[in-house]
Amino acid sequence: MKNKQIKIALKNCGKIDPERIKDYIAVDGYKALGSCLSEKMPGDVIDIIKSSGLRGRGGGGFPTGKKWEIASKFDADQKYVICNADEGDPGAFMDRSILEGDPHSVIEAMTICGYATGATEGYVYIRAEYPLAIKRLLIAIGQAKEVGLLGKNILNSGFDFEIGLKYGAGAFVCGEETALIASMEGKRGNPVNKPPYPVECGYKGKPSNVNNVETFANIPKIINKGASWFSSIGTEGSKGTKVFALAGKVKNVGLVEVPMGTTLRELIFDIGGGIVNGKKFKAAQTGGPSGGCLTEKHLDTRIDYESLKACGSMMGSGGMIVMDEDDCMVAIAEFYLGFTVEESCGKCVPCREGNYVLHEILKKITHGEGTLEDLDKLKNISEVVKATSLCGLGQTSPNPVLSTLSNFYDEYYDHVVNKKCAAKKCRSLLTYSIIEENCIGCLQCKRVCPADAISGELKEKHVIDPEACIKCGACVSKCKFNAIVVE
Amino acid sequence: MSCGEHNFREKLTEICREFNNDPNELISILHKAQGEFGFLPQKVQETIANIIKIPSSRIYGVVTFYSYFTMEPKGKYPISICTGTACYVKGAEKVLEAFEEKLNIKNGQTTSDGKFSMSSLRCVGACGLAPVVMVGDKIYGSVNADQVEKILSEYD
Amino acid sequence: MKKIESIDKLNALRTYLENEKAVSESKNVIVKVAMSTCSIATGSEQVMEYFQEQMKLEAIGSKIIKTGCMGLCHSEPTVEITVPGKEPVIFGKVDQKRVEIIIKDYIKLGKEVDGVIN
Ligand SMILES: Cc1cc2nc3c(=O)[nH]c(=O)nc-3n(C[C@H](O)[C@H](O)[C@H](O)COP(=O)(O)O)c2cc1C
Ligand code: SF4
Ligand code: SF4
Ligand code: FES
Repeated sequence: MKNKQIKIALKNCGKIDPERIKDYIAVDGYKALGSCLSEKMPGDVIDIIKSSGLRGRGGGGFPTGKKWEIASKFDADQKYVICNADEGDPGAFMDRSILEGDPHSVIEAMTICGYATGATEGYVYIRAEYPLAIKRLLIAIGQAKEVGLLGKNILNSGFDFEIGLKYGAGAFVCGEETALIASMEGKRGNPVNKPPYPVECGYKGKPSNVNNVETFANIPKIINKGASWFSSIGTEGSKGTKVFALAGKVKNVGLVEVPMGTTLRELIFDIGGGIVNGKKFKAAQTGGPSGGCLTEKHLDTRIDYESLKACGSMMGSGGMIVMDEDDCMVAIAEFYLGFTVEESCGKCVPCREGNYVLHEILKKITHGEGTLEDLDKLKNISEVVKATSLCGLGQTSPNPVLSTLSNFYDEYYDHVVNKKCAAKKCRSLLTYSIIEENCIGCLQCKRVCPADAISGELKEKHVIDPEACIKCGACVSKCKFNAIVVE
Repeated sequence: MSCGEHNFREKLTEICREFNNDPNELISILHKAQGEFGFLPQKVQETIANIIKIPSSRIYGVVTFYSYFTMEPKGKYPISICTGTACYVKGAEKVLEAFEEKLNIKNGQTTSDGKFSMSSLRCVGACGLAPVVMVGDKIYGSVNADQVEKILSEYD
Repeated sequence: MKKIESIDKLNALRTYLENEKAVSESKNVIVKVAMSTCSIATGSEQVMEYFQEQMKLEAIGSKIIKTGCMGLCHSEPTVEITVPGKEPVIFGKVDQKRVEIIIKDYIKLGKEVDGVIN
């Protein structure tokens, strides 16, 4: 089933030794840079990227060629190329894979971008949680410098380009480009209002072109094979391929690269091999904490930037978390909001306070104390937070709430009205009891119960005291006779 | 900090010099300093502030903003449990609870003998192996609650 | 490595390296061991060492290299084997025992073995 995949960004990952520049050169490495420097004017390079239709793979999907063009138009004594390798969406790991498996492709692309936009300095802003990617990137930069593919007068063309590293320190909001730039300058990662966009006023106040790792990894291949080759792949508005990180309850967890327009069904069931343990597919979250869930009715949607938006989700960085019947969608929404509350930078009120309140309400619901009124509140507060937050984090953070509310309203209803969690995830809503007929009085459950909630003597029927039970589930896994039921 | 007062300032001076005493490089400086001392107590922050000539409040602001920086010493074997989305849906919470129970501490604390400390983090990018636990630099994949004891026993 | 001084030199170097690669691939069994964060966590370093040791022991002409991730997290450690004249084959969940089977049965005898990912 691998043949549904087309590898462009991941072309060399798993094929070459990332720590040997010769391996990269042998597979057309730095050929695109050579051809740009010798045969193409900066404007030509921009035209190729523009007509390829490549859009940013970091989340927003802004046309890359257009961004480069804007950056190239500003007159400044210094411009920068920045590679966003913050990869904050938990569950996405394609950027790490590219940097660990093919670091030279990103270096080559950044250099091409520098040439096209008129920048002579580049930075990779990379998460400190990725030590191996950092190591390989540093090795690659060192090698490129040594052979003169980076540094002064590259390939005797008169063009200079240097690349340095800047490290993240565990803040999701620093993936947002203005926060990223603040962080590069040694400050707290607080976003600022746009415009001005970084392409006009970025790092150290200079025009800075920010692109994602995967976006860059596409560049050398587009230059080598041509814009029309690239734009022949994909859908009307979304060209080329997208790398997805399949994770969660899918059999073949891993990285896959498929043409834009592949359906969710092909992704999860053909390539992903379906759901583990023969369970039923329930939902897939794309776009991470900013995105929403896709459900069974979306399985045949052709995935691209627009269609995902229409489903109430977004492309994001390509993380795809697959969930099965055992996952509670209210708990998932609570999980995402917990994440947002921790990661909100706190600068603006709607995001700082609104998300906190959303999280509290969701907690209330999963603890069995929610009301129908809470469901309306969730919706209203979500709308306000989305409309009034300053940066992309707050503007999208209620999406998981809204999308689970609209796709799984019944589940919310069940939690607040019937006080039941069908997926058996919300502990407060569960009751543990022993089926008399099945219990042989083996004492196993009584021994493990940390709350001493089980009474009964050897070979006698055991009973769970619902008041004392802390719902840890320890007894269930110990009972060999299926005598303990959870409802 | 085992080294004396003097050494400690000297080390920080050296680190700051490596980054040209440039306040723009504050985060790199803090990474290096934390690598050296294991954590960033007030004294370290004040000394850096003094060397690169910025208010120590700015450093405090940065240290508290980024979850990677810590003002508390970690255990000899710091345990990080990934609570990213992939790990969450694969049952990271149960693993976290198992560590809490076995070590008899809460997430974020250090055992009284200073041997283990616990923290959670969001995704180390090994989501394919979820749930993921790190002890120091070593990554354990597909961890379930029953394996916790075995993992801990490797550090006896 | 020396500095590459011009585009022509880069092109010449590429042609040379492509050739060198083709020659090496026609003579040697190419073993690519995925060596990314997750592969290492599942023991790919040990797998690579064991391959080096065993291929030497069996005196099989081979090139063993580490690569980035093949995207097959569900089957780490993964190894791609290319026997001259054959298509590359990826093996998953490789441990010492499987290394031995791969060498003895697949590489030396050309037999089909378990653990192939397709
Ligand atoms: C809260 C938030 C987090 C983000 N995180 C990332 C990230 O981790 N990696 C990334 O490349 N872009 C991230 N972005 C998008 C960037 O702001 C920016 O649009 C992107 O890096 C531009 O590159 P592209 O056009 O190549 O996608 C994030 C945006 C927001 C609002
Ligand atoms: S929306 Fe949230 S993360 Fe963005 S600036 Fe406001 S508080 Fe900070
Ligand atoms: S769920 Fe836990 S607390 Fe409740 S009876 Fe079973 S073992 Fe005891
Ligand atoms: S979510 Fe745990 S490693 Fe990515």
